[in-house]
Amino acid sequence: MEFCADPSLISGWRWLACYLTTPKHQLFYLSFLTVFALLAITAPVVLLMGFAGAVARLSSFAPLRWLGTIYTSMVRGVPDVIFFLFVPIALDQLVELTRHKIKCPQVTDAVYRGNEFIVCSEAKMPLQDAAAWVHQGWGFVLAVIAFSIVFGAFAANTLFGALNAVPEKQLETARAFGFTERQTFRKIHVPQMWTYALPGLSNLWMILIKATPLLFLLGIEDIVYWARELGGSKTGYFAYPHPDWRLWYFLGLLVFYLLLTWLSGKVFDRLNQRFNRQNIDQQVLKPIEAGR
Amino acid sequence: MIELRDIHKAYGHIEVLKGISLTARRGDVIALIGSSGSGKSTLLRCANLLEIPQRGDIVFNGDTVRWANKLKGRQPADKNQVRRMRTNLSMVFQQFNLWAHMTVLQNVTEAPVSVLKKDPQLAEQQGRELLEKVGIGDKCDQYPSQLSGGQQQRAAIARALAMEPAAMLFDEPTSALDPELEAEVVKVIKTLAAEGRTMLIVTHDMKMAFDVANHVIFLHDGVIVEQGTPEHVFQQTQSERLQQFLHATGTIG
Repeated sequence: MEFCADPSLISGWRWLACYLTTPKHQLFYLSFLTVFALLAITAPVVLLMGFAGAVARLSSFAPLRWLGTIYTSMVRGVPDVIFFLFVPIALDQLVELTRHKIKCPQVTDAVYRGNEFIVCSEAKMPLQDAAAWVHQGWGFVLAVIAFSIVFGAFAANTLFGALNAVPEKQLETARAFGFTERQTFRKIHVPQMWTYALPGLSNLWMILIKATPLLFLLGIEDIVYWARELGGSKTGYFAYPHPDWRLWYFLGLLVFYLLLTWLSGKVFDRLNQRFNRQNIDQQVLKPIEAGR
Repeated sequence: MIELRDIHKAYGHIEVLKGISLTARRGDVIALIGSSGSGKSTLLRCANLLEIPQRGDIVFNGDTVRWANKLKGRQPADKNQVRRMRTNLSMVFQQFNLWAHMTVLQNVTEAPVSVLKKDPQLAEQQGRELLEKVGIGDKCDQYPSQLSGGQQQRAAIARALAMEPAAMLFDEPTSALDPELEAEVVKVIKTLAAEGRTMLIVTHDMKMAFDVANHVIFLHDGVIVEQGTPEHVFQQTQSERLQQFLHATGTIG
């Protein structure tokens, strides 16, 4: 007889082993990849957005400077959750509205009808008959965009501060040696900025990790979704009946997040050490040493 | 070779330079002395346009800096002209200002490679030779923060030399150093003077000014009070103001 053929006849460790390897549980394990994918895609985009925002704020071209300032202060002033709810819906409607205008120009009915937002079926994004994974994927893309906008603003703030923290003398020296403004920025300003940016960025990374359960809020089948789903009590109707085990599932998530942040902390400590050894101007270090 | 004509510089209502002219010919070593706040560092920084004087002209090798009137006051009109001047006038700073994220060797090779477009291998070879020359050939791969102040300043001098400049500007090169470290930097500066390099040196070190310079300028309150050969300035002092200054710095005796 096969190992897990009839769950009602087995018990103990064997039951647990079979229970933890059901197809649903495999989906649960896969959803951890969603979290990692979100982190892996969002982090570089956030850095790019942050860098663009910081450079815009430093620009000598006033409109660009205003744009950078508006972006960072607007996002900073709004609670994250509001933004995560607002951006995907707004983006979704914007895309559908645009598609509606292009694909069904013959429809004359208003798109906003009372409380409804109705576009023609060809304009749906994704299309109604698209596979489930397309729906999930589209939701995921919207989530990545929302995360990038919000955390990009935080990163812009951090990088802006770091760019300002680089001692003016280091830049002036470059100019005195005939560097152009662009060369000064690329060869001196940006490389020295990282030392000052690292503590803020490591903090931001931790917050980003801890914000990943917001995926659940956006309707993505992430680890929180599956923990709730699988943890809820199962009656005899199910192959593996059990009482409410959500406590244990959430405990598992807790341990997962603790491990992830602890590991990240270790990596950032290493990076910090390496940067500090090389980069900090001795004048910055001197008062610290004198204090010992 | 470098000529400053009637330089005026004010910060707000405070006039730091009130019309100063000086000329340095090839091979001249000019020492600028004076108490703190006399404007000598500002004058030096005007020479390579790190400070923009409100009035007056700067002539380098017959090339007069062209000005443009901008919203924030007078600015150099031609950025390339400014860069050309700066690459010919290498500066050594009081606080060394080595680039903290580069090794000593990278500090020396960076500007020749990215500004003068020198071949990186050639720049590295010359950089090693220059560091050898200032006596820290063994520190090539260390970071500035791992060096003593005297070693950092010598690296900064090597960095300035690597530009093969027409003239060198020293802004109080020994003021941030302990006496024993000062000596090693003074030794290097003396060697450079003996090679016939053109140098403008702002300094508090009267002994170095006497030993190294062929022309000494005493600044007080933004004007030149007295100037001449070191013997003239230090031994046949005319003005009362300079006598007081030399007395206060313990130079007279």
